Formats: sequence, C-alpha cells, structure tokens
Amino acid sequence: MTTKYDPITLSILWSRLLAIVDEAGTTLQRTSFSTVTRESNDFAVVLMDKYGRSIAQSGISVPSFLGVLPMLTQALLKDYFPPESWAEGDTVMTNDPWLCAGHKPDIGLVSPIFKSGALIGFIGTIAHSPDMGGALWGAGGRDLYEEGLMVPPTKLVIAGAENVTLFNIIEANVRVAKQTIGDIRAQLAANEQGISSLMRLMDEMGMENLQTVAEQVIEASERAMREAIRKAPDGTYRYEYDADGDGLENPVHISCAVTIKDDEIFVDYAGTSGAHPLGINAVMNYTYAYTAYPIKCAFSPDVPNNEGSFRPIHVTAPKGSLLNAQKPVPLGARNITGNILHAAVFGALSEAVPAQVQADCGAACWCVVLNGHDTRKHQDYVEYFFLNGGYGARPTMHGIPTLSFPTNVANVPIEVLENSAPIMVTEKSLRRNSGGKGVYDGGAGQRFSFKNVGEDPINISILTEKTKTVARGLQGGLDGKKGKISIRPKRFIAPKGLDKLMPNEEIVLDLPGGGGFGTPD
Amino acid sequence: MPYRLGIDIGGTFTDFVLLNETSGDLHFGKTLTTYPDPTNGIITGTKQVLNDFNVNAAAIHTIVHGTTLVTNAVIERKGAKTGFITTQGFTDVPEIGRELRYDIYDIFLTMPEPLVPQKLRVGVEERLNAKGEVVMALTQASIERAVETLVGRGVQSIAVCLLHSFVNPAHERIIAEIIHQKYPHIYTSLSVDIMPEIREYERASATIMNAYVQPITDKYLETLEKRLRVLGFTGNIDIMISSGRLTTIEGARKSPVQLLESGPAGGAMASVFFGKLTGRADLLGFDMGGTTAKASLILNNRPEITNQFEAARVRRFKKGSGLPVRIPVIDLIEIGAGGGSIAHIDHLGLLKVGPESAASQPGPACYGRGGDKPTVTDADLILGYLNEKYFLGGTMTLDREAAREAVHRHIAEPLGITIEQAAMGIRRVVDENMASAARVHILEKGYDPRRFSMIAFGGAGPVHAFSVARLLGSPQMIIPVGAGVTSALGFLVSPVASEAIRSFVCPLDEIDWQKLNTMLRAMEEEGFEFLRHAKADVSKARITCIADMRYVGQGHEIAVPMPLGELSADSVAEIEATFLKEYQLRYNRTVPAMRLETVTWRVAVSAAAPEITPNQPGAEFANENALKAHRSVWFVGDSTPTETPVFSRYALSSGAVFEGPAIIEEKESTTVIGKNSTVRIDEFKNIVIDLHHAK
Repeated sequence: MTTKYDPITLSILWSRLLAIVDEAGTTLQRTSFSTVTRESNDFAVVLMDKYGRSIAQSGISVPSFLGVLPMLTQALLKDYFPPESWAEGDTVMTNDPWLCAGHKPDIGLVSPIFKSGALIGFIGTIAHSPDMGGALWGAGGRDLYEEGLMVPPTKLVIAGAENVTLFNIIEANVRVAKQTIGDIRAQLAANEQGISSLMRLMDEMGMENLQTVAEQVIEASERAMREAIRKAPDGTYRYEYDADGDGLENPVHISCAVTIKDDEIFVDYAGTSGAHPLGINAVMNYTYAYTAYPIKCAFSPDVPNNEGSFRPIHVTAPKGSLLNAQKPVPLGARNITGNILHAAVFGALSEAVPAQVQADCGAACWCVVLNGHDTRKHQDYVEYFFLNGGYGARPTMHGIPTLSFPTNVANVPIEVLENSAPIMVTEKSLRRNSGGKGVYDGGAGQRFSFKNVGEDPINISILTEKTKTVARGLQGGLDGKKGKISIRPKRFIAPKGLDKLMPNEEIVLDLPGGGGFGTPD
Repeated sequence: MPYRLGIDIGGTFTDFVLLNETSGDLHFGKTLTTYPDPTNGIITGTKQVLNDFNVNAAAIHTIVHGTTLVTNAVIERKGAKTGFITTQGFTDVPEIGRELRYDIYDIFLTMPEPLVPQKLRVGVEERLNAKGEVVMALTQASIERAVETLVGRGVQSIAVCLLHSFVNPAHERIIAEIIHQKYPHIYTSLSVDIMPEIREYERASATIMNAYVQPITDKYLETLEKRLRVLGFTGNIDIMISSGRLTTIEGARKSPVQLLESGPAGGAMASVFFGKLTGRADLLGFDMGGTTAKASLILNNRPEITNQFEAARVRRFKKGSGLPVRIPVIDLIEIGAGGGSIAHIDHLGLLKVGPESAASQPGPACYGRGGDKPTVTDADLILGYLNEKYFLGGTMTLDREAAREAVHRHIAEPLGITIEQAAMGIRRVVDENMASAARVHILEKGYDPRRFSMIAFGGAGPVHAFSVARLLGSPQMIIPVGAGVTSALGFLVSPVASEAIRSFVCPLDEIDWQKLNTMLRAMEEEGFEFLRHAKADVSKARITCIADMRYVGQGHEIAVPMPLGELSADSVAEIEATFLKEYQLRYNRTVPAMRLETVTWRVAVSAAAPEITPNQPGAEFANENALKAHRSVWFVGDSTPTETPVFSRYALSSGAVFEGPAIIEEKESTTVIGKNSTVRIDEFKNIVIDLHHAK
C-alpha cells in the first residue's frame, strides 16, 4: 500500500470521485425512457473498490439503493464471478430481487474497472426499468413468477461484445421492449462514462489503484458515523407501528427495536408480521436500505455515503417475515413497506435523540400505473405517476405540504399526464389541516382526482397507504389525517391492486397528512 | 452621434462603459450602487463618465442597461402584491410544486415559499383538454368574480396560467381583456406570453414571477428613462436580458422576468466578443468575484442557452431549491467559490473552501474589517499573488499579518503544516472546485475540456484563471481589457433580438407540415416586427430555428438546430441526422429504431451584433517601464517561492512578449501567470497567455 493522501489531496480526490458518479448519474437520467428513472430519480451509480466496497454513490438517488450495489457486487464476487473471471469490457446484469433491490423492475449492471491490466474496482448502476413483463407493476402479482422475467447474474456484455441472446430474451418478454432495452443501454453508457472519467482522473493524479483512497474515504465516513452514534445514549428503544397491509382485512404490523450500543446500532424487527399475500414483501437488502437511511439522516446527513457509513449499522428481521421475504412470495410493491420503515426507526430513536428525528410522513408515496389502448390515438400506453402526502413535522419546524419521503419522487405534470393517457385531472389541491397538530404541525396531504375521458377501459394498478392507519405524531404531536380512495359513481375499489377504470368513471385520491411534533397547546 | 453607453448595476458597484463607435475608444467608469433608488447612482455615474471624457449626452445614440433589480426583488421578496388566476381545482399547484426534495439526507430542509399566498390564488371555471379543445367554457361571471376577489384583496398585479393554455391561449386572453377593461391600472401577466410551454407548475412559476416584479420594474424603467432624458439624452434605451440578447424598454416592461440574469449574460456576451476579436470560436468564460465563480461555454461564437433556470434558491447552489423559471437563460454554472470564500477543516478532518463567504462585510481577514476567518483572498495574499499596497489600485491596504494569523489558527495549526502549505491547500481546493464544476459542465455537453481556451474576468478571475486553466488542460487564457467592467462591455456587443417560443408536441413522422410552417412563419414575423419596432437594421437580421427534441417516451429534450425555410416530409432526414449528431455528442450513443418527437419550437430573429474594434486610449510606455518590482511568489507544486517579476498592465504595450512566471497588476484585478507559459499583449491590449502543457 502506498502512503496515505494528505487531507488536502484527499479532499480534492474525494470531490472528484463524487463528481464522477454524479456525472454518470446525469447521463443515465437524461437518456432513460422510464418515467420512474428520469422524473423520480429511481436509480443509483456507485463506484466500488476491487472488493466491491462502495467508495462513492451518486448524490441524486433514492434510499432504496443504499448499499445495494456493493451487496450485489460482493455477492457476484463470492458466488458467481470470482475476481479472475472478469475481463475488461464485461458487464454483468441481474434483476434477482434477493441480490439486487427487492423487485424485478430494478436492474443492476456491474462493470469491472481495469488499470494496466489489473482489476482495480467496479462501477455499478441500478435503475427501474419501464417493464419486466408479468402482471402490470404493482401489488397485483400473486407470486414471484407472475411478476415477470428474472435474469440471474449473467454477462450482458462479454469483453466488449454484447450478449445478443440475453438481449433477445429480454426483448421477447417485456411490454415496451424498445424502451426497456433503451434504458439498459443508458445504464451501460453510464458505466462506460464513469470508467472513462475515472481513468482521466487516475492518469491526471498518477494513480495506479483505488485502494488507498478507498481505505481513507471509507475510514473517514465510518468514523463520522461512529462518532455521531457514540454521542447518543445507549439502550434499546422500541416502537410498534401499524400499517395498512392490503388496506382491507389484512393489515401489517412492524415491531422495531433499536439498540444503541457504544458506536453501533442494531435494529431488529422481531415481532413483525409474516409474509403478506399481496406483493408488498421486502427482501433483506431492501429492508436494510430503508432502515439504514433514516439512521444516516439522523446521525450523519452531511457525510458522503460509502461502505464506512454502513459498517456500524446492523439490521435483522425474522426469516420469512414481511421484512425478510423468501421465495416465492410476490415482491412487486415492496416500496410501500420500505417507505414506512423510517417511521418505526425514527419513532424508536425519538426516545434517544429527539432533536434528530422527524414525525411520520404521509408516506408511503402513492403510485398509479395506467395501461391500455387509446382508440382515438390508435396507440397503447403505460404511464406511471406518483403522489405524495404531507411531510412530517420536525423538532424545530413544521412539516412541508406534499413532499416525498423517504423515497424522493416528483409528481408528473398534469399537462404531461393528459398528453400520455386518456384521462382528465379534475382536481389537485392541498388538503388543508390534514397534518397532525403539534408544537410544529405535520405537512398537508393532497387531493388528486381524475376521470377516464377515453372510449376504452383503463387498466389501473394502484398503491395507496394510510387509508386505514395514520401518520403518527411524535413527542406528543398529533397524528395526521388518514387518506382515502373512492370512485364516482360510487363503487368498491381496493386500496392496493389492479382494477379497471371505465369511461367516465372518476377516481378521487385523498392523501394523508404528516404527523405533528411536540404536544400542541 | 457616435456613442453607446453600457450601464450595469451590480450589488456593490454600477459600471459604465462608454464606446466611441467611430474610433473604437473605450472609456470605463464605476460608482457605488445606490439604495433604495439605483437611478441616483446611474445619473451620478453617467454625468461623471460624460464629464471625464468630454462627451455630451446628446451624442449617445443608445444606452444599454442591465440590472440586478429583478433578481434582488425576488430574493428579498420585495415585489408587488400579486394575485394568481388558474383553472378551478388547481390553485394550489404553485404551492405543491414538484413534490421533490433537493437534498435526500437533510430532514430539516425548507422549500421556497410561493410568491403568491393561498388567499391570493383563485380559480375560474373553464377547462381545455390536452389538444386545446374547450371542454368547459369560460364565463364572464366567473372571471369577474375572480378578478374582483383579487382586486378587493389589494393586488397590484395578476398572473394568469390556465391548464393547456400553451396550446390554445384564448381563455387567458379573454381574462386579460376583462382585467384591462375593468381595472386598467392592474398589471397582467399571461403564461402564454411569458413561457408558452408544457408543464403547468413551471409555467405558473415563471408567470407569477413576472407579475411579481412587473410593477417595480415598470416604475424603475420609467423613472430611469425620464432622468436620462433630463440629461439631454435622446437616443434608444435597450435592456440586456438573460439570454444574452437586447430587448426594448417596452419589451422589458412587459416581460421583466427576462432580466433575471442580465449581468451574467453581459459577461458571457463579452466572452463571445473577445473570442471573435482574438479569433477563437470556442471558449470557456470564467468570472470569479467575491462570493461566486461562474463559467459559461461559448461554442462557435455563441453562448450556450438553457431553459432550466431557477431563482431565489433557499439553499445556495443547490439545484431544485429555488423557484423554476424556464425562460431562455445563458447556461452558466455557478459555484460558491470567490475571494471571500471561507476555508475550514470539516469534521472529517478535510480542508474545505466555501460555499460560505465572508463577502465584503466583514470580508477576508486581510481586509481588517473584523473578519477573522481565512479566505481565498487571504491565501492569495500569503502566496504572493496579491500586492497588499495595490489592492483595488491602492485604495485599500491589505493586512498580511491578519491573513497569516487566520490561516495559521484555522488551517495550518490543526493540520500541522506551515502557513504557506495551508494557503497553498486553500488555493488548490478552491481551484479544483472550480475546475471540477467546469469540467463536468463541459463533459455534459459532450466536449473535451482541453479544447477550450479560457477568458477570465471579475475581481478574482485573473488571479485564479491560470491554475484553473492548467487543471482543465486549456491551451490558452485571455485576460481582456476592461476586466473590471466586463458585463457592461458585453451589453455593448449584444444583438437586439427576440425569440418566439411555441409548444408543438408531435412525433416527427406525424407532423402536419403545413400547420408547422404557418406557425414558424408567424413566429418569424413576430421577430421582424419586434426588430422594426426596436429600430434595428432588419436587412441584416438572422433567423435561427431550434426544436427541443427527444426520442418518443423520454422526458429530457435536447436543442436541435432546424433547417430554415419551408419544412416538409423531405426535411425529416436532415432533422433526424442533426438530432442523432447532437444526441451522440452528448451521450456518446444513439438508440436504434426509436421514433423522434419535437416538443418546443424556438424561433429567434436577431439583428447583427454591433461590430466594434476596441481601443483603450492612453500613453504608450516602453515595456521596460512596465516592470514595477519583483516579489516572492509560491506556485503550485513548488517547495520554495520564486522571485517573480511584477508588471503594471497600464504600461504594457501591444506586441510585448515575455515568459511566465509573472504578475500583472491593474486597478480592478491581478493576473497571476505560472511557469511554462508565454505572455503576449495583443493589438487590442488583451493579455494572451499560452500554457505549455507537459506531454
């Protein structure tokens, strides 16, 4: 190992590495077809060392991918492609939910980085693909196999040559093949760009490997995280949290115990519900990401994340439970479950570090997918959009209306939506006073309603949350108002799952407000 | 009447550049910006510069003006009480925004408050569909109710943005008509005039901002014009807008939101001008001041334009934390790196510089105004780049000991290094920050940073440009004449032009060409009409047509230059080829067999940019007299300082050539030139430096 970089050079190098992954992320976002990737930042780019440990992750990203690419790369090295099996110009692809990000639409691509003939690291991208076949994306699949194509770790590019067979298989299995393949190529482009930017940096700085800088940045992030945890009082803090489940007869319960011990945190979900028949089950990778995320927000929000940030964070959940799903349970809408974990973690942590947490948000983000044929336009469409509830109150500030948390997805403009699908939006407004009162109030949720104005039925996949439960207040703050889904003319619609919106039917979505913080006057 | 006068109001100074178009003589002036009425400073400064150079106000045929007034009104929330009218059911759109967080780990973030509060946002019953067809008619009663509510609540200005109005403006126009009839004193801004593009939140945001700043801008420009007339000025007043073009005073009063970035746009246009003058079509403009550095890319003698601008960010430099204004703006990257940027050791033990700035109050430690934090200027002084006795031409003395003490206490001591090493560290980090931001910006556009020469200005620009140019691998850097008043100079070399924008969302293979051609001809005619009205020379006018295009299904468009004249199905091959070329350039690949679509069309009609051959009159000195002294200077990578010659810029004459290292001092800035370089003073007295790169 060469000598360490001084604090000035390290500062410069670290910024450059972060700029490289951000730049690759921008390329991926701008060239992708998937609404989820481009409007909702549902992607990540991670630069890793030769052991698959994260050195730098793109700043724009969603929490779902925290630590996922390193876990994937380490699994690839251990069980699929040992170091000697990688060649320059390779790229391995997989969407295996257990190796990757917990459901099939998330495709991971990992490429090795060579310098002077030696394997020195990896770059990986993960992004939500427009379609992976199977049932329409959402909670509609009855088991894993209804959720579309699964590609086990396979070389998509072999020493620079595309694996045409694999491309053909994907193309034959997905709805919008050109767009899905286009997005896979966008990921490839991002990996390539990251590698070439890294090479430029290494040449400029005269670097032969990444290990010295890797050790130093990992060590620095780890130290910052440990120091912050050490300041919190030791103990085990518990929080019990109810969520909608299917929103009908089958709710779910999250039981969360956070133990702070010296400079480490252990989160255990023993007591949590078992696997759910709807596709809202989360694999361990995913549970880890959404548990580590609020911890990072509370303890070390301003330090760039890498392997070191996560070393002091340990997460366990009973095997086969909602939060440690096993084959072949469906996983499609696992985001609904991941998106509520922060509430349980913050709830438990509020006892230990009340100034560093926020009250529950009107999360999870509601998702709507519309699909069908538009007779008037003679075309098929698949259109995703997202809606957010109120942001939870903070120890020193009110919540914010309709802000995405913990995931970070933008809405789709109404005018864009009406151009893409035969619907007309009839209202988008704030639900004033839907946030829970407190010393600081929770943010307001919103009403969003739309009507089928076409001639054909619209297949709709819908995911709501907190139509039976609420965003909980913290430290005496009151709960936010719950959400509601209804149809005009009135009829039954399930809060999660697949339905058909008939011509002239109107669907009204009332999103929940955020929880308040502190006992109100 | 051979004179043109450029006037740029900045936060601290108001700059003047007086040009004699016959001789090319340039005269510069500077006064303090006056608050609350900046026209006081303008009048004082104008009188001063006319008096100094013995010119009569009646001899000026055009004054070109730019100001930070609009930006400041938005940042300081000092605009008019504004109302908002939209389609019923959507009055909260400006408050809801895009629902996206700009920082994913900071749970304590805040979002920008809408400029119009809830009780001043009202709906009218009406609805268009995506094709612009009327689904629900707009009634007079509904409009009157809305307008009366707003007027009753005391608004001075009203913004109107209805869903899908960019496809069919009829309803917005009816509302404007009724407001105008019943309340002629109320200002009205329509989204179809301000930003006729798809995406309701962004369109509403730009329209509201226009309405918010319109009353104050209108009054300001009216006062300014009157006061200039009193001086005996009878010529035209042109206003610099964010896209690097000039508009008329009427144009600015109608659409003041266009003035948001007038100063920086002037800087970029000055870069274009000096590029042409020195024979360089591709350049990186680099402007570094007290708190920020800006870089803009000039390609083929044109500034890059973006429509992704944001104003009034609640967190500085953080994309997504401001109010979007999707109007054409010169594409500038702005980072928190300036002379006043504060250096500190963060909790990871790393040296960081900025974005916090000591600004001018208390200022860097060496200003001796109570600042005790080490800044970039302090490091520059310690390293020998700045002359403590000739700062701002000697009007201010810098305190070297205070600079050393601040760097010692906050950086050198904690890191266990010498003061010079610490100062060099500050210098390296800030230069890297700027180079890195510029590099990403250039790469995003698909170019190699090494092909761009750099043109540097602003107080700290010439001090840092050499190191930044080295890091980027630039072959050459230019320090233009008038580096202290560059934006005002840029005003004088910008063309009068207007740009018409229309949404036309349609796959390329489904375009109704006749409809498109009719639209484009109307847009061109609008432009010519504007030029005639502005009394510009229409005979040399140039049309440019750009379509924002993407693959069907994508959400991000790229600007693609279109062929001029009648378009038809025969044009498709050329349009496709241009799109693919631009796409390949940016993303290094294209997507096979995907359909293309156009989203927005932009037609600009531009008069020719004024041609000037600058001349800075003054005594010609023999170059020997230019050498003022030698001083010890620390250059990057050296372990000992180098005795370096220090020149006075005013005494260097055209044709002088010497080798770096060297320091060239002038009143507003100091040019620092490192080793392995050749310096030349060109025929216009620009400093041109060739950087010899190893390899």
